[in-house]
Amino acid sequence: MAITSIKNLKEFSTANERFEGAHLLCPGCAHSMIVRELMNCSDDNLVIATNTGCLEVSTAVYPYTAWDTSWIHIGFENAATAAAGAEAMYKARKRKGTLKNPDAPVKFVAFGGDGSTYDIGFQWLSGAVERGHDFTYICLDNEVYANTGGQRSSSTPIGSSTTTSPAGRVSYGEKKMKKDMVSIMAANGAHYVAQLAPNKWKIMAKGFQKALAIEGPCFINTVSACTTEWKFDPKDTVHIMDLATDSLVFPLYEIVDGYELNILYRPKNVIPVKDYLGAQGRFKHLFKPENKHVLDEWQKRVDASWERLQRREEARV
Amino acid sequence: MKGVCATENRGTKEIGSEELVGWDAVTQGVVIHSFEGDAANIASLKQEERCYSEFSSYTATVASWRVVKPVYNRDICIDCQNCWVWCPDTSIISRDKQMLGIDYDHCKGCSVCVEVCPTNPKSLLMFAEHDEIEKALESWPQKEKKD
Repeated sequence: MAITSIKNLKEFSTANERFEGAHLLCPGCAHSMIVRELMNCSDDNLVIATNTGCLEVSTAVYPYTAWDTSWIHIGFENAATAAAGAEAMYKARKRKGTLKNPDAPVKFVAFGGDGSTYDIGFQWLSGAVERGHDFTYICLDNEVYANTGGQRSSSTPIGSSTTTSPAGRVSYGEKKMKKDMVSIMAANGAHYVAQLAPNKWKIMAKGFQKALAIEGPCFINTVSACTTEWKFDPKDTVHIMDLATDSLVFPLYEIVDGYELNILYRPKNVIPVKDYLGAQGRFKHLFKPENKHVLDEWQKRVDASWERLQRREEARV
Repeated sequence: MKGVCATENRGTKEIGSEELVGWDAVTQGVVIHSFEGDAANIASLKQEERCYSEFSSYTATVASWRVVKPVYNRDICIDCQNCWVWCPDTSIISRDKQMLGIDYDHCKGCSVCVEVCPTNPKSLLMFAEHDEIEKALESWPQKEKKD
């Protein structure tokens, strides 16, 4: 089956929606932008597994489902395992000739939040990638356990105030750095890993199509701005993600076969990191004079990681 | 052990009786179908051509969440589809590269579509939920002059 054209937005908009409205995600949630885009950029039959998290609890509230494809939910940690199991069974039944419709193209996709990807489902994801199943894992990275009330995860960046790392008189919030999951998955042997953002829809759609087409495990980390936990107005979702990509806090890049790094988006005007931080309530306390060192640390880290990415792109190692 | 479990026809049924029921006799989950009948070529059908079952959230509504609503002005729209690609609630109806309007059953009033609209004046604007659409269109702002 043909893959939907993403040459321009007008052509892309002729895709037939397979993610229905009236799910219960917050107004202005970026999760559904990402899910819609994935399902619109492919015409194949999708088998989707979802970890517990905002996406799962909001899109399948009995008796309704927002999904127009096969969709599985089992536990907090095992979307990767569910997708891998479905894929293994599909291959086995294809080999035995017991499939009803063996020629239909089928793709396996797993969705997880950052909590279930970076922390709880890490071992399961690592195992499924190591076994080489043909599936795409998409992490909806909102840097916090948003579904359970905003606890820190290992994706939470330094200085962020969460319910388990609150900022106040003695603390400036989360003390630890964000885990570099994209590099970990590249080293883990995923055939294609990428970091994408829904505000750059074309780059994201291209990345999704590439990941679905590649045979073997693929991992995609997508930025998903959370209006509730990042504390900004729902209307600013796209604007906040623009700030994130333009300040290089979330550089968009891909790594093919573990070594071929390509930077997918180079902002024309790189904006200072404090513009991105200042737009969100969770970093409000960093602008007090006593926390200036955290802001400087942020800018230094972002500059260093951008430098590293550019060097890796040149060196091809 | 007595218990209640969900059934496929949106009801509940009592499971177990006075005697004990083993773990393997309890229904672990429920399969619900988004469509009536065959769903094999759903990707090639538009939403209005599909046969949704009562389980699909397409048949549900979240209109009661809204306090403000977007109003669409066809005269200014350039069909750029920015609102379509970023709408989190699948509420922008676009067919054949044309923006047709807003699906008020599924819109939650987040204003993302208004923010990403590039025209001057914007072809989507937020109005109070109780405002009438005709009156809203009459009160549409004029083109802003650049200084």
